Amino acid sequence: MNKIPVIIDDKNFEVDPHKTILEVCREHDIEILTMCHLKGLTDIGACRLCLVEVEGINKLLSACTTKVAANMVIKTQTERIKKYQRITTELFFAERNHVCAVCVSNGKCELQNLGYKVELDRIRYPHLFPQCEVDTSHPWYVMDHNRCIMCTRCVRACNEVEGAHNWDVMNRGHQVRIISDFNTPWGESTTCTSCGKCLHACPTGAIWPKAIVQGQLEKNPGMVNELVERRKMKL
Amino acid sequence: MDKRKIFISPVTRIEGHANITIELDDNGNVSDALFHVNEFRGFEKFCEGRMYTEMPTITPRICGICPTSHTLASVKACEMIQGIQPTYTANLLRRLMHIGQNLSSHALSFFHLSSPDFLLGYDSDPAKRNILGIAEKFPDIAVRGIRLRKFGQELSERITGKKIHIMGIVPGGMAYPLTEENRKALLEWIPEAIETVQLGINIIKKFHEDNPEMVASFANSPTLYLGTVGPGGEHELYDGKLRFMDGDGIILQDQLDPARYLEFIAERSVNWSYLKYPYYKPYGFDKGFYRVGPLARLNVCSRMKTPLAQKEFEVFKQMSGGRPVHGTFYYHYTRLIEALSDVEDAERILNDPQVTSLHIQHQGRWNYAEGIGSSEAPRGTLFHHYKTDQTGKLLKVNLLIATGQNNPSMNRSVLEVAKQYVKGDDIKEGMLNRVESTIRCYDPCLSCSTHALGQMPMVIEVKDKKGELIKRVERN
Repeated sequence: MNKIPVIIDDKNFEVDPHKTILEVCREHDIEILTMCHLKGLTDIGACRLCLVEVEGINKLLSACTTKVAANMVIKTQTERIKKYQRITTELFFAERNHVCAVCVSNGKCELQNLGYKVELDRIRYPHLFPQCEVDTSHPWYVMDHNRCIMCTRCVRACNEVEGAHNWDVMNRGHQVRIISDFNTPWGESTTCTSCGKCLHACPTGAIWPKAIVQGQLEKNPGMVNELVERRKMKL
Repeated sequence: MDKRKIFISPVTRIEGHANITIELDDNGNVSDALFHVNEFRGFEKFCEGRMYTEMPTITPRICGICPTSHTLASVKACEMIQGIQPTYTANLLRRLMHIGQNLSSHALSFFHLSSPDFLLGYDSDPAKRNILGIAEKFPDIAVRGIRLRKFGQELSERITGKKIHIMGIVPGGMAYPLTEENRKALLEWIPEAIETVQLGINIIKKFHEDNPEMVASFANSPTLYLGTVGPGGEHELYDGKLRFMDGDGIILQDQLDPARYLEFIAERSVNWSYLKYPYYKPYGFDKGFYRVGPLARLNVCSRMKTPLAQKEFEVFKQMSGGRPVHGTFYYHYTRLIEALSDVEDAERILNDPQVTSLHIQHQGRWNYAEGIGSSEAPRGTLFHHYKTDQTGKLLKVNLLIATGQNNPSMNRSVLEVAKQYVKGDDIKEGMLNRVESTIRCYDPCLSCSTHALGQMPMVIEVKDKKGELIKRVERN
């Protein structure tokens, strides 16, 4: 396949034309922050962390949903981008009830790591402190909406990889929630196969196994892509 | 009658803030004293709706000084819900961590906070009546005290990687084993730690000898006592049964399963404090005040488990002819006897061949709807009580905390000391410190800041019944 030339952060690259900016950057070890992206799942550009500047386009574009084009001049590390990444991260923390110290995911959380990466030392926005349910109805897993950032990785893993579509999204704005089936307790779901893919896809402590406590959580989000790739091999 | 009030604010913090009000009658004599805790923390409420297995992680955040005790009480409640027991090695490691916390807390209470009173004097310059003043005048003692605390914290750190708010204690056992390298490193601390505790014992004994009247009369009145004891009535911190004793030394309840605590302990709210008033149920609210903590534990137990501590325990028992010792001042002495026992016990555990075993956790899952766990925090007996639905979600949480159980007695002790040292409008700085030090004897979490390195912004105001200020004494 013919390669196309692009310039990323003042460096020239020859890249495959059908790939997204995010894929190209990851291939060349250029760091781009992401939260809703999980390799193996369809990208939706929801989290707005992977924003990049493209010369000639005034607005910032999400790297996960924008494909490269010939002679594209891309910048990934500008002050403008960093400013928005910081704002986005602060809003993640302000929207729900994230208390790292007592979270089962403490030390192994993608959101927590994101906070370190953007050097989050304070949150400038008022916390909303919404009243969120902890769904403990499933025999093995817990869904804690306090810690959900609405990346919808669980929804896509359940739908695209497991094919169960137990998870979906309800409401809009601050009221938005992940729901099981038609907003029934997870333990009463008729579609959930208890496969655990949503647990591994979840970047925070929102979905976790009942059997473990803080310090014991091991998530393997890479397993989603492994499954996808293995299925391709069979075909 | 025209009542006047002395208002001490803040006595900061039991993880919050506290005040003292001393009421005077027409003649300027103390008629009443109220110890207010005026911050609501709400752990019992906001934990409702969460998974019970999260409690060993959430509840240690109640306190930065005794998080391990909270974790242990919590994890025992979880194990009761699951119907499982920890492994032998896990019990050893938990004991070690509990000893570590007890030791570092006792070292903090004695060397950092209280020893300035004993070594520099109650009426010495407040600016120097602190650990820095000790470091200046008695550098060896200050360094030893700080190192003893360090040893206590290392006991946790070398097992779980964290000094405070540890996270390795899990239902069914432990998440991390102890390595041989860490075991050896911890053992090296033992001789120095024993020497330091014995140094502390000598300091307090000398103070007893030099100030017999003050020690004997300092908030000295009989109460009931509650503590945990082993199967033979021996001193116990981690896992045992409860013993209630009255002021004459008569055992009221023995080998009481902590799970039955509600049969014997009731709580009542008072309108001047957010801290509830627990009491021994059979005796009722008026007569059922009991004390917990080192003094209570040594009063109720029949013997110590280790030789050096037993020797000291015998000296302590002789002070009152084998009957309970009521003087609040003796909290310091009993704290050090416990610390001695802790170090000796740590040595025993570290020499147990099973302590480095990898068999550290049993697996369990929800089986019972209710769980109760208890442990002896440095400040006294601690209870965690959880009720869950069939999915493990918490429906009700009750936490009965050591400082809370000492609350009625602290209130009474403040009254007694105020009666002894407060006369009318004549309020001296030394009086402030004596009232404050009554609270410090109990070593509640607020002691950290009540002592506040001699710089606590303490204010006593004398007001008449209408609230008009008569006199104000400020310490800065």
